[in-house]
Amino acid sequence: MLEIRDLSYCYPDAEKPSLTGVSLNAGRGQILGLLGPNGAGKTTLISHLSGILQVQHGAILIDGSPLAVVRRKAPTRIAVAPQEYAFYPMLTVKENLECFAAAGRLGGERKRRRIVECLAFSRLERFVKIRAERLSGGLKRRLNLAIALLPEPELILLDEPTVGVDPQSRAFLLDAVKMIANSGAAVIYTSHYMDEIEAIADRVVILDDGKVLRDGTLDELLRDGVAHMRLAVEGVPVGEMNALLGRFGKVESVGEEWRVTLAHDRTPAELLAAVEKLGGRLKYVEFGRNNLEQLFMALTHRPLRD
Amino acid sequence: MLLALIKKEFLALIRDVHGLAALFLMPAIFIIIMSLALKDVYSPSTKALPYAVENRDSGQLADNFLAEWKKRHGSPQANSASWKDEVRGGKLSYVLVIEKDFSRELAAAHPGSGKQLRLIAEPGLESSAFAANNAELIMIANELRARALLAAARMSQRSSQRPLRSGAPDESVPVSALAMIDTERLSAGSRPTAVQQNVPAWLVFGMFFVVASLANLFIQERQCGALTRLASLGVPTSVMIWSKALPYLAINGLQAALMLAVGVWLMPLLGGDALSLAGIHWGALMLVLLAVSMAAIGLALALASLVRTHAQASALGPIVNILMAAIGGVMVPKFIMPEVMQRLAEFSPMNWGLEGMLAVLLRGSDMTGVLIPAAKLTGFATIMIIIAVVFFRRRAS
Repeated sequence: MLEIRDLSYCYPDAEKPSLTGVSLNAGRGQILGLLGPNGAGKTTLISHLSGILQVQHGAILIDGSPLAVVRRKAPTRIAVAPQEYAFYPMLTVKENLECFAAAGRLGGERKRRRIVECLAFSRLERFVKIRAERLSGGLKRRLNLAIALLPEPELILLDEPTVGVDPQSRAFLLDAVKMIANSGAAVIYTSHYMDEIEAIADRVVILDDGKVLRDGTLDELLRDGVAHMRLAVEGVPVGEMNALLGRFGKVESVGEEWRVTLAHDRTPAELLAAVEKLGGRLKYVEFGRNNLEQLFMALTHRPLRD
Repeated sequence: MLLALIKKEFLALIRDVHGLAALFLMPAIFIIIMSLALKDVYSPSTKALPYAVENRDSGQLADNFLAEWKKRHGSPQANSASWKDEVRGGKLSYVLVIEKDFSRELAAAHPGSGKQLRLIAEPGLESSAFAANNAELIMIANELRARALLAAARMSQRSSQRPLRSGAPDESVPVSALAMIDTERLSAGSRPTAVQQNVPAWLVFGMFFVVASLANLFIQERQCGALTRLASLGVPTSVMIWSKALPYLAINGLQAALMLAVGVWLMPLLGGDALSLAGIHWGALMLVLLAVSMAAIGLALALASLVRTHAQASALGPIVNILMAAIGGVMVPKFIMPEVMQRLAEFSPMNWGLEGMLAVLLRGSDMTGVLIPAAKLTGFATIMIIIAVVFFRRRAS
């Protein structure tokens, strides 16, 4: 549905481009998780999709047509739920929905129906007469989402939609996002919460310094990651243990725990057999691959970005 | 702890550039403007008001009178046949009309009952200026008459070779020239009371106060992302701007209705003069009000597009308003300003609005009489809206 090809963008007077050769795809019924540290270029990318920034280099296509053409003909095919509470705090929930429904050219029966449906979807029916400024953080997030859904967009961009909400609201919002995708829309979901992306994203794009570092399904991304072992052993002197584990990969000692990043040609079974052969007794052992957060940190490194 | 908190307060103040501007720059500018504007209140200018002379007398006393008036009030404007229209329209503040028998009657022991010297003032001339001119007119005429009578008495004494009597004047000879003098305003259907002068001034001032309100709301929308959301929904910039302009046009309309109602109905109840709307041209009033409103809204939109924060809008809006009012003759009547400040006043949109309102409410002007101020205000509004659109789009991108 959405195809971004070799997109580059440089703000006036900026020293370096905010986006460099970004390419990605988002399909109907899919959730694309967009990850990146602050300053990675996510906002610039979203600003392109919401029509605020014009394409300088590359192309953004919606079903094969340039985004600018699509936006001109039917701007409401693409909706953005920004990170800010992008509504009028002095208006009630219903007044906000009516205002943005009219701005999205909804009228008559369709407008009335969509307001009812979006209120129900975001479970805001009980709050229709409450001024938006008096809603809790979770309710504000739900209103932000409800407004974005009013014109039944085919592509929806959700920019950190769960910031500052309680776990219940967060779970509700994540379910809601899955339902939006299940109904056939393409969803781009940005978040700093890796567990959210792991929980809902069908594809993940990791962006940093304006470039795409990784693009693939979660399995594809984590499959490439290295294997880790954590184990505690009794009956083997530290020096011998260190020498033994060193043959299997990179070793790190934290207290009584040994952490081994296995070399590509080594397996956990081989390592455990070698420990037993040396007379060591295993107190515990864990084996696993990188999770998304580890992969993200490995790719983007630790230095603070702002 | 106290010191740390005081330090924090100073740091916060120093880093709030706009707050500091409001604290220091604003009073400094205000002092400069008000001091310049009020300079002549304590040493009244003799050249402040434009006037013309219609001299129908060829006598010496008429020339003497005009020479004295010129010394005090500067040279008159060139007289034209249409001076009445110029006075009615406010281009001339007044005209001195000297009738053909002025010199003879002024020197006569027993002048006739006719008015020989008339001051015809524009309808909007402020009352104190009108009264001051009236008093000065009488004073100069009295002095000339006294000299003429004295000269006549000396002449009579010399011809009769008798000493001039002292302490026993001829009681039947009136010394005052008051009976020969007439001062009037050109009729405009309404009396130039304080209310008639003040309502237009403060109405224009109040209408421009939408600037702060509109600008703040605009910035709130921009900061929370609502404007971006509207843009992403395909709402054109022109629609966004009109959606702001039209409600504030209505608010300005309500303000005008309320202020006029206060003048017409509330002021008499409080013991003041009533604002008179009798005989005014309603079409002209509507045109001026619409033009003032458009200028105020245009300025608000431009300001909202130029500034970045609430703090900037909150500081700049009132500062711009108050400075425009101070320069434009709202706080200090333009006629008491020195000439330089009067020229400066002509650059203030509030002055254009005020001139338009005074033309309607005091001079009874029709549409043609308010076309120039209305055109200036509309032009200003257009330029401001263009600035607003350009910066709005630039900010959005």
